[in-house]
Amino acid sequence: MSWMPFKIGQPKKQIVSKTVERDFEREYEKLQKLEDQTKKLHKDMKKSTEADIAMSKAAVKISGDLLSNPLCEQDQAFLDSMTALDTAMKRMDSFNQEKVNQISKTVIDPLKKYSGVFPSLNMAVKRREQALQDYRRLQSKVEKYEEKEKTGPIMVKLHQAREELRPVREDFEAKNKQLLDEMPKFYHSRIDYFQPSFEALIRAQVVYFTEMHKIFSELTDQIDQAGMTDEQRERENEAKLNELRALSIVADD
Amino acid sequence: TANTIPTTIKYLMDFHPAKCSEEPLHLSGCSNESVFEEEPAEDAAKEKAEREAQKQLMATEELVYTEKNYLRLLQVCTSTIRSNLQALQLPNLDSMFLYTEEVIDVSGRLLSLLDQKQVTPRDPLFVETLCDAFLSLSTDIESAYKEYLANYSNVSALENVYKQKESLWTEIIKVIKSSAPEVNATSLTFFLVMPVQRIARYPLHFQTIMKHTDPGHPVYPLLENTAHTAIALNCRINEYKRFREVADKYKKTETLTIRDKMNRLNSHSIAKKTARLSQFIRHETGISPKIVDEEFDALEGFFYLLEDGIATLHDNVEIYLHHLQRFLSCRPEEFDLDMDGEKPAICYKEITTALRQWILPTYEKRMRLLVHKPLCGLRDLLVGPRNLIRKRLDKLLDYERIEEKPSLTYDDQEVANTYKTINTLLLNELPKFNGLALSLLWGMLGAFSSLHKDLAEDMEQLFQGFAQQLPHSSLEPKAFWEWAECSVLEGAERLERLCQDVEEQLNAPIVQPLSPGSQKRLKVLSDKHGSEKIYQLTGPVVGTRDLELSLNKGELVSVISEMDTRGDRRRWLVDAGGPRGYVPSSKLVHYQPVTMDMPPQLTATTTDRAEGFRRHSYTPDIRPRPSDMPRTQPVFAGYDFMARSNHEVSLRAGEPVKVIEPHDKKGSRDWSLVEVRGQRGYVPSNYLVAMPTTTMATSPYH
Repeated sequence: MSWMPFKIGQPKKQIVSKTVERDFEREYEKLQKLEDQTKKLHKDMKKSTEADIAMSKAAVKISGDLLSNPLCEQDQAFLDSMTALDTAMKRMDSFNQEKVNQISKTVIDPLKKYSGVFPSLNMAVKRREQALQDYRRLQSKVEKYEEKEKTGPIMVKLHQAREELRPVREDFEAKNKQLLDEMPKFYHSRIDYFQPSFEALIRAQVVYFTEMHKIFSELTDQIDQAGMTDEQRERENEAKLNELRALSIVADD
Repeated sequence: TANTIPTTIKYLMDFHPAKCSEEPLHLSGCSNESVFEEEPAEDAAKEKAEREAQKQLMATEELVYTEKNYLRLLQVCTSTIRSNLQALQLPNLDSMFLYTEEVIDVSGRLLSLLDQKQVTPRDPLFVETLCDAFLSLSTDIESAYKEYLANYSNVSALENVYKQKESLWTEIIKVIKSSAPEVNATSLTFFLVMPVQRIARYPLHFQTIMKHTDPGHPVYPLLENTAHTAIALNCRINEYKRFREVADKYKKTETLTIRDKMNRLNSHSIAKKTARLSQFIRHETGISPKIVDEEFDALEGFFYLLEDGIATLHDNVEIYLHHLQRFLSCRPEEFDLDMDGEKPAICYKEITTALRQWILPTYEKRMRLLVHKPLCGLRDLLVGPRNLIRKRLDKLLDYERIEEKPSLTYDDQEVANTYKTINTLLLNELPKFNGLALSLLWGMLGAFSSLHKDLAEDMEQLFQGFAQQLPHSSLEPKAFWEWAECSVLEGAERLERLCQDVEEQLNAPIVQPLSPGSQKRLKVLSDKHGSEKIYQLTGPVVGTRDLELSLNKGELVSVISEMDTRGDRRRWLVDAGGPRGYVPSSKLVHYQPVTMDMPPQLTATTTDRAEGFRRHSYTPDIRPRPSDMPRTQPVFAGYDFMARSNHEVSLRAGEPVKVIEPHDKKGSRDWSLVEVRGQRGYVPSNYLVAMPTTTMATSPYH
């Protein structure tokens, strides 16, 4: 076999300058942070969307269950109000679904895809590291032979070692250069990539809340007593509850 | 680097809709080289602290710069633009500027408080001064902004009136552009919306400063307090806005009809003689009382429906609130992907922060107060009537039995009276109970609707501040979504290409010369299995189970099956030139032996090779044979060789040999006749190494 598992120490010649190494680490760190953020953002967006959908469905259930209770039919005006409420909730739910679909397509999916690139990049960085280790090892080997007496067998071994080293060095240099080029480019690409997502997130919500405003302004005019502040509503609720409490049938024996 | 204004501040100062294309500021470039030498841990912490201090400074400076710019623009609008507009004789022009003075005043006072203390953002005491100034002015800020925001809808409505007359509007725009040429404004509301935006930004500013401040720092509690005050300000200002709206609306008359309808429920009896409700009772209790009181049955039926409805509503409301809390617990706006001051990202962050920090929490609070709390109260009151109704039924059954008796005892009389009392009580009071409960429900649902309306209104107001800043906000919905989806697709394609590039270029296996042993293995495997299924080990493997092979890094194998007998694709069955067994597929990479027809690119220089065609291997056939080189080149044995017949001679790696004939008796150049250690014999030609005269590789093949 052409590999012997030598455990040789560090080569004397400085293979990679400190500056280059530092630059590399810095760029890689940025990417790692971006990877972390992308994953977390994806997770959080999914969770938030799920809660959003659940909330909307819960609102539909509130009005739906009420409307299906025969209670409503006992008073025509009340029935009209409940029907209007139910219609409004269902409409809002369908707008919500639309919003969620748009966000899925323009935000959540792109996030996931973006995360999917990192394993390849991480692997490439690992391979570069491996190449660097191999390079160091073979460089040490060459240096070791270079220091020895120049006998025939040593010369042969030195020649072989140099032959082994060359492709490994070239490979490392190619990988290193590529990554040093690609990493900042990729990091910068996030801006163009995600700009549409952020705009879409905002736009989807603008549409949703505009509809909500329209629908509930209408509904509130229809079923709500106007001119009530929160305090007044509270007082009215309390007054009614007190009236109920005053009934003899309410006191529990 | 502290002298250059960071990208984010620059964009805010210029209010430029064009995208900033400057490179992000590399803060880590500020520290000097020595940080990276010895003792990395200690210096890393120091470096981090420096970075945080830098960011805190940036955030503080941003607050001040943006406040100054905001004030300046408002002043331009209310003095220069306003006076220039007088000439156009616009109706109601003054009402556009109704509360601008107060807002300008309070902003000016904030800035002058900072100036008075004669500290700059770089001063360590600045943050403290800033917080104190803000807190001392918070009451005035609240009163100025609440009037302004409550009135703002009138401002935008009035501008829409102006927009109706095209010629007038064109004139207005001309005035605006000439009065403030450096600002790219296309409407009055461009300026007049700024207070709406500004008040909502204070919490974000203070929180950003907080984020980069050490919690142990003495100024931290003050900062926290200021951030909370800023949020509370926004809540109260919104509340006031609603209060004003409600007060205005009260003047309408049609709203009283709903109140009437609700009041009707209280006084008139809902007891209707419907057969369905009576059936309901019979079904529920399984008992058919002899004494049928239709009126009571109806009341009772209604009560049970009410009970059911309230219980269901209560559960549904709690589920709703639970999901609302779950939604609030997510904070996607915190993972901003470091978007370097891109407007859409910033707008999104501000909008979502406002939504999660005070708009939705206010909504939740009001939901609990006006819907959940009364609902719980109502539900608790159901117990009494329910128990009493059951009691009545029991007494009724007792009553039925004694009714048949000719004469009633004293005890019987008691039973009869009890029943009659309960019955009468329920008959009298149940209608009121039912009516009031229903009217309470109605009120709650009305509030539910109204809360939604307020939530939507708050969000719309929030969006107004950002509408002009987004690049594609002017696109119609259909066009916008087309653009968005298209961009997303393009982005995905670019990503895929990048992925492919990375896979191909960076993960290509290394060019390595093959040892004779490997060459032999290669030949054996190619003959046996063909040359397409040859793989190389990227690392050593050690077999732990039966049928698992132990191999060294770099060994060549042929893949027989890409899965094991159980279908596991992580273990492949391979032939290692004799022994067969399983190795992990993760350690295998495809090996492509290159053929003899190598294009001349092989002789290209090293730099070309890095970018262009990458060889995956080369066979020694292409290397110069010692027999091809001039005889004067010294030749050595490159590897050990064991002679297997009389015609062959053994070699020890490194010993010098003399080549007698570079071919065998049949003319094949695979074998050479050599003399070594006084013996003659044939050895494989590729086991020989020719050393160039200098130790550097100078032959054209390198």
